[in-house]
Amino acid sequence: MSGIRTPISTLAAAAQPASTEIPAPLIPLLSSLTSIIYTIEHLFNKIPGSPIIVRYIKSSYQDDPWRSVLELFLLAFAIRTVLKGRTRGEGEGKSFIKLTEKEIDELVDDFNPLPLADDPTPADSFTLDTVPTIYGPNGIKVKTAANGKTLLNLATPNWHGFIENDKMKQVAIETLGQYGVGTCGPSGFYGTIDVHVKAEADIASFIGTEASIIYSQAFALVSSAIPAFAKRGDIIVADRGVNFGIHKGLQISRSNIKWYAHGDMKDLERVLQSVERERKRKGGKLTKKFIVAEGIFENDGMLLDLPKVIELKKKYKYRLILDECQSFGMMGAHGRGITEHFGIPATEVDMILGSMANGLATGGGFCAGSQVVCQHQRINSSASVFSASLPAMLATCASAAIDILKTQPNLMTSLQANITIFRQQLSKLEAGGPGSEQKLISIPSDMNSGLIHIFLLDPPDSLEDEELLLQDIVDEVSNTSNLLITRSRRLRSQEVFEPEPSLKICVSGFMSKKDVESAGKGLKAAIVKICGSLIRLGLIDFVSEHYVVLG
Amino acid sequence: MPRSTRRSGSSGTSTPPSSLSSPPSRPLFPAISLRSSSPSSSAKESSTQTITARSSLLNVLTRPHHSAPTTSISNAHASSADNNNNHNGSSSDEDTNYSDQSTISSYASSIISGTYMMENQHLTSEDIAKVYENYLEKPFVNTKSTIKHSEFGHCNNPNWRWTSQWNTDEPIHPAEEPRPPYFTLLTTYISYILLIVIGHMRDFFGKRFRPAEYAHLMPQNGYAALNSDFDSFYTRRLKQRLEDCFARPVTGVAGRSIVCYDRASTDENKTFNLTGTTTRALNVSSYNYLGFASSTGGCADAVEACIKKYGVSGAGPRHDASTLDLHVQTENLVARFVGQESAMVVSMGYATNSTTIPALVGKGCLVISDEFNHASIRFGVRLSGASLRSFKHNDVDDLERILREVISQGQPRTHRPWKKILLIVEGLYSMEGSLVNLPVLIDLKKRYKFYLYVDEAHSIGAMGPNGRGVCDYFGVDPRDVDILMGTFTKSFGAAGGYIAGSKQIMDRLRLRSHATCYAESVSPPVLTQIIASMGSIMGVAPPLAAPADIIDDRSDTMSISSRPTAYGPAPAYILPSWMKLPLNLLNGTEGRERLRRLAFNSRYLSSGLRKLGFIVYGHRDSPIIPLLIYNPGKMPWFSQLMLDRLGPDKTPIVVVVVAYPATPLITSRVRFCLSASHTKNDIDLILRACDEVGDLLGMKYGKQTMNVEEVIASAEELVAASF
Repeated sequence: MSGIRTPISTLAAAAQPASTEIPAPLIPLLSSLTSIIYTIEHLFNKIPGSPIIVRYIKSSYQDDPWRSVLELFLLAFAIRTVLKGRTRGEGEGKSFIKLTEKEIDELVDDFNPLPLADDPTPADSFTLDTVPTIYGPNGIKVKTAANGKTLLNLATPNWHGFIENDKMKQVAIETLGQYGVGTCGPSGFYGTIDVHVKAEADIASFIGTEASIIYSQAFALVSSAIPAFAKRGDIIVADRGVNFGIHKGLQISRSNIKWYAHGDMKDLERVLQSVERERKRKGGKLTKKFIVAEGIFENDGMLLDLPKVIELKKKYKYRLILDECQSFGMMGAHGRGITEHFGIPATEVDMILGSMANGLATGGGFCAGSQVVCQHQRINSSASVFSASLPAMLATCASAAIDILKTQPNLMTSLQANITIFRQQLSKLEAGGPGSEQKLISIPSDMNSGLIHIFLLDPPDSLEDEELLLQDIVDEVSNTSNLLITRSRRLRSQEVFEPEPSLKICVSGFMSKKDVESAGKGLKAAIVKICGSLIRLGLIDFVSEHYVVLG
Repeated sequence: MPRSTRRSGSSGTSTPPSSLSSPPSRPLFPAISLRSSSPSSSAKESSTQTITARSSLLNVLTRPHHSAPTTSISNAHASSADNNNNHNGSSSDEDTNYSDQSTISSYASSIISGTYMMENQHLTSEDIAKVYENYLEKPFVNTKSTIKHSEFGHCNNPNWRWTSQWNTDEPIHPAEEPRPPYFTLLTTYISYILLIVIGHMRDFFGKRFRPAEYAHLMPQNGYAALNSDFDSFYTRRLKQRLEDCFARPVTGVAGRSIVCYDRASTDENKTFNLTGTTTRALNVSSYNYLGFASSTGGCADAVEACIKKYGVSGAGPRHDASTLDLHVQTENLVARFVGQESAMVVSMGYATNSTTIPALVGKGCLVISDEFNHASIRFGVRLSGASLRSFKHNDVDDLERILREVISQGQPRTHRPWKKILLIVEGLYSMEGSLVNLPVLIDLKKRYKFYLYVDEAHSIGAMGPNGRGVCDYFGVDPRDVDILMGTFTKSFGAAGGYIAGSKQIMDRLRLRSHATCYAESVSPPVLTQIIASMGSIMGVAPPLAAPADIIDDRSDTMSISSRPTAYGPAPAYILPSWMKLPLNLLNGTEGRERLRRLAFNSRYLSSGLRKLGFIVYGHRDSPIIPLLIYNPGKMPWFSQLMLDRLGPDKTPIVVVVVAYPATPLITSRVRFCLSASHTKNDIDLILRACDEVGDLLGMKYGKQTMNVEEVIASAEELVAASF
């Protein structure tokens, strides 16, 4: 390096007298090399600031030759990194096998993928064939065939008869005349209509939070709102019994998920303590911590012990994400959900997720919370940003339904009365219930919940057999008592924790007391007939025989 | 009067534009100056007339000699054009009739285009403003239609129609993307660097001096911050500066025009206060491709009848006794519409992707996805647990390279073959306006045995001579595609989405899709809107009243008439018996008219902007037209200037500006979404507005080859030309 500043002329001159020692053919080579070095040096000296660089290199070499070696090595490494492809995993991975074009062609010819959809199993066809189709309008009285008989609908959430409410129909027609049907755009691009703003304000003031944001589907809301906040590295403590949408949200969030036993507050505290211990042991940055639970659990109708959860959440500094898709519109004195039921201000909960399709019989979902929480979702929640906004008429109908709920608390009392009547009819079959009849079922659902799940106490061995048995009950009540009920539909093999099969009942306050009473009686008789007889006959034989017939 | 012989009509036997083969080697319209599209005014200028007659002759000469002349720069008085152009003797009379109806609309056009100006030198901007007073509400043409002009513009001129169909001579993708000057790139990068540096400085000092305003970004009483300040940096420091361009509150129908609430911010866009006034603006932002977003008309009447009968709610999930007969009817109709065996509807377009993909693929499967695929697809793939590879946008070579690699290498580490390979592409990309290269993908699919999933969220209803999406556009058999997905939000003015495929696949999806089991079903009024709008695009048999027009058998590409079974009318028995549609919807004339208007509008604006020197992405047949802005500082200005308008007509226009993260960092753009509800005058207006603002903001990054008046005067030629 110091050679750079050595005058080339002297070097050349020195080479001349010693020419005898250099073989003749090398002389032109050497002289051309010399002239190249000379030109480079000349050019280099022309660059402004070049003496500084040279001085720097010289002094650093003299002071510390090892440093120069290290710098040279770093330079080489940097060049190598730049030249190397940026994308990892494309032909660079450890297990990558280099193949010739011909071999690849052969492999392509041999590639034999599975069919996109496998053949349906008998169980699959059974599931599809038992989905009822409703002819004409939905509501508490429906027909499942074009000219069939009228059935009492205990399968659709319709807590206050909003589906057939004339006021709401009127509001919808008025909205249609002003706004049409679709909004033709996401809320960010001229899809925020004034009726959305009003519906959001109405929901927020009804529940008692600072703000709310509406989504166009409740399922998408749940699976998108959670990952909008919970990110990789955050901690989520969730109830094992949460619904499918929450599971999907948790999966997308990639957070660190801890489960506590369904409805078990002691276990929740244990989990919270263990997280705390671990954090103290490991130290590190403070991360976001969430508790995720449902107000009324979709999978079994159980009620969350909200006061206890609030107490624990405050004690351990967690944020609470409460899914009220079932309980909103169904619980509390005005249908505000379980916060009203327990008399806890909604501001104590950080995020309340609700469904307007279930609770208000319109469509879409909402998230209620603080201004910061809602504003954040408008930009960061995938299902809110990338989807068209809710049709205007569904928003105005939601506002109308909230007005009805606010002004008519008797709706809630008649719903509660109907639930009580229905539960009374079944209580004799329940484990631990009164009377000396055979105990066939268990109902974990809360006594105030309109959503009632009925589980068999003594189920057959396999899930398929149990589903068949429950479907027999569904068919029996449809034939003998003119009831439309459904067994809980599940996505077997996609669920995180497979829920037990159950019958799902939705009681409506819009039904007459007499109807509800006879419905309860009819269902009880059907359960006794199907399950009682099974136990006498020997369960397994019956079911497998039945299954063969079906398959 | 420029004329096209491509009749507007109900017959569906329009000539495919592909017959316009062998594009002329030089521009068809050399130096046409100030010329009007109105016969009354252009006839007065002999010089203009000779130019048009000459160029029309040029056009005739450069066109192949088969009987499908698409357009020409002809004049109503130029007999040579008449003789050459008409394959049907009565057409010239018809045209005159039609053009009489549109004289008033041409009048406005001519005023601004300059011919009028020459005669009345003193035409002031007040006069122009007067012509454009109530422009958005008051139609220029007489009409009996009950649909409001402000929601769906009335436009009778049959020349302003086009058929959206693949012209094999036009490349699906441009050979190379137009590039901005280096100066623009440099300033764009510098702008972002400046924004980021200033943003960090503000954060640094703000956190120290005004901690109250940063409370939600900092841990407090043992709670970690809800939003990490790193994650929200972009939102707070970059997007907030443009906040006024987004989420403007509106009211009424998002049709041809839209009413915005005026608002103002006093705290640097953190909050907005409504000023109490509203502005009606021309709407080129909503995905209302066929103009079915409407509060009146046949579809709205059907929806009203439905609300009376069914109410508004779909209530519970499909499998829990919330499957109505209407759902089944809609699904049958959708399957017919897209040309598949079976279909399924979902109550939200986003959820259609995100809940279906996990039901199709899982662990051990590979999804190959276009890099610009929509967020819902990415969400769905993440939920599914399948491996993901993405290929360069629309680059079939890159795709083939990846296919060869993944098939030969198998799954990572184990090298077991993939269980399934699913290729997910979009038909029309909503940010790029580019079309998928479907014919090539179908070929690749035969070779590499992957499954093809086409998301037609934007293309369904908007592309193809029958509006059946990209398969229709390219003349590809829809059953060659395994899964067709689309939404109802866009072309049909409804909400939700569909999945269509073979019966076996759909049955599997009905069983395994999250939506059928756990999400609410589609609400009945929305279903009715879907049935009514879709039925009116298809036409309903038996009352197939469409008069049979002459079928051009010499057409060398597959025309609609050659495959009537694939995209036939909807049989009447599929539709609900209570649904009453007016005749123009039943016989499909209205639907076809809308398709052809949309096709004209799209091609016109896209070509016009290119001629004006803007950098425009995408295919010219795409109703989505992205115009590149690049510099972030110009975005709010563009949006604001389009709303405030400098031009004398003062008609506000609302536009959508999009930037990172929806687009790559430097290519921020404005996106026009055209609609069949726009009239040609509306497009003229947009071109003028873009021209004014483009000059002011220096946005014409390309080479300007025509001025705006030339573009407007030669609209039909621009549409017909293949360049």
